[in-house]
Amino acid sequence: MGEVIVVTSGKGGVGKTTTTANIGTGLAALGHKVVLVDADIGLRNLDVVLGLENRIVYDIVDATSGNCRLRQAIIRDKHLEGLHLLPAAQTKDKTAVSTDQMEELCDELKREFEYVLVDCPAGIEQGFKNAIAGADKSIVVTTPEVSAVRDADRIIGLLEAAELRDPKLVINRLRVRMVKAGDMMSIDDMLDILAIDLLGVVPEDDQVVISTNKGEPVVVDEKSLSGQAYRNIVKRIKGEDVPLMDMDNDSGLITTLRRLIGLK
Amino acid sequence: MHGGNNENENIFEIEEQAAAEIETLFDENTILVQRTLRSGQRISYEGNIVVLGEVNPGAELIATGDVIVMGSLRGVVHAGASGNVRSVVVAFKLQPTQLRIANHITRAPDEEVFATNLPEIARLKNGVVTIETFNSEWQGK
Repeated sequence: MGEVIVVTSGKGGVGKTTTTANIGTGLAALGHKVVLVDADIGLRNLDVVLGLENRIVYDIVDATSGNCRLRQAIIRDKHLEGLHLLPAAQTKDKTAVSTDQMEELCDELKREFEYVLVDCPAGIEQGFKNAIAGADKSIVVTTPEVSAVRDADRIIGLLEAAELRDPKLVINRLRVRMVKAGDMMSIDDMLDILAIDLLGVVPEDDQVVISTNKGEPVVVDEKSLSGQAYRNIVKRIKGEDVPLMDMDNDSGLITTLRRLIGLK
Repeated sequence: MHGGNNENENIFEIEEQAAAEIETLFDENTILVQRTLRSGQRISYEGNIVVLGEVNPGAELIATGDVIVMGSLRGVVHAGASGNVRSVVVAFKLQPTQLRIANHITRAPDEEVFATNLPEIARLKNGVVTIETFNSEWQGK
């Protein structure tokens, strides 16, 4: 029996879909059987990020309404054996699926897969309620902005009200240099307000944009800092104890030389 | 033995007296909130509110009496909501988005705020909301 993890944030644009795609890909790369469920009906994105858009025939609404069998709606990833996607419908809206249907769907999926990751839409309305309906665990994504942290706080309150205890926090797009200069909220500032366990911190990285546009999640990129951050998150989800990495990406030639001769 | 009994009776008398005195201090109901209030959560109560936890930005506390927060108070707080100008707000870390007592509304100055690690009390003094370090010498209204 697998587990259903919902990835949510409240605010839009903080990286829910990117996080879902990377965690899912990371888990599949380690040999797990994973399905990603795009619950953002009407604004589907997860298929694009994974580069699977052109393979969609049936979607989540077809599956829940009985238009097709669930198996027919699930798409296999083009690179990774264990990775699957249940795409959202693009021509319907959030009310096309009910919370009961979503619960049933999640129950069915976790019998088949080890990890079921649900990509939640932004907002706190029906789409959010559907996305969390069948979840066993939750991940809250935020960026170091006051508005994103405020929405994350609201979401954590709603998750607790829905009996989804112990949400885990992913801080996305952290800029170490700005934090050092005191121009951006630090990890501690955010943990001080949100007071939940930290699952991982992903630094701002151009590579994320590049890989997203290519339809290949950055987690498989061995060289990038953000890829490493996502791989650490995946390990922590599996229960491994991985320390936060040093994100000081100030590794220019001069800094490296200075470090070598002991000036820093 | 008799002496001992008398002593006991005396103690009871004193306790009864003390209880009667304390009785006069009970003027309103109080609820105890044993959790952190997050953004979007709101507690409104006819009486006093005591929070054992934090009050995050975006949360609201509204009481007709006093408000005490055993933690950081960063949301909006309204004490004496039905017009009691003698209501107070006490918090371990008093940094509300907005603080209201009766029909007076204040907020922190836009410049960098003065931070202290001591508990503080906000109350009305001559029609102005005043914030001071809280100490136990404060004897009610």
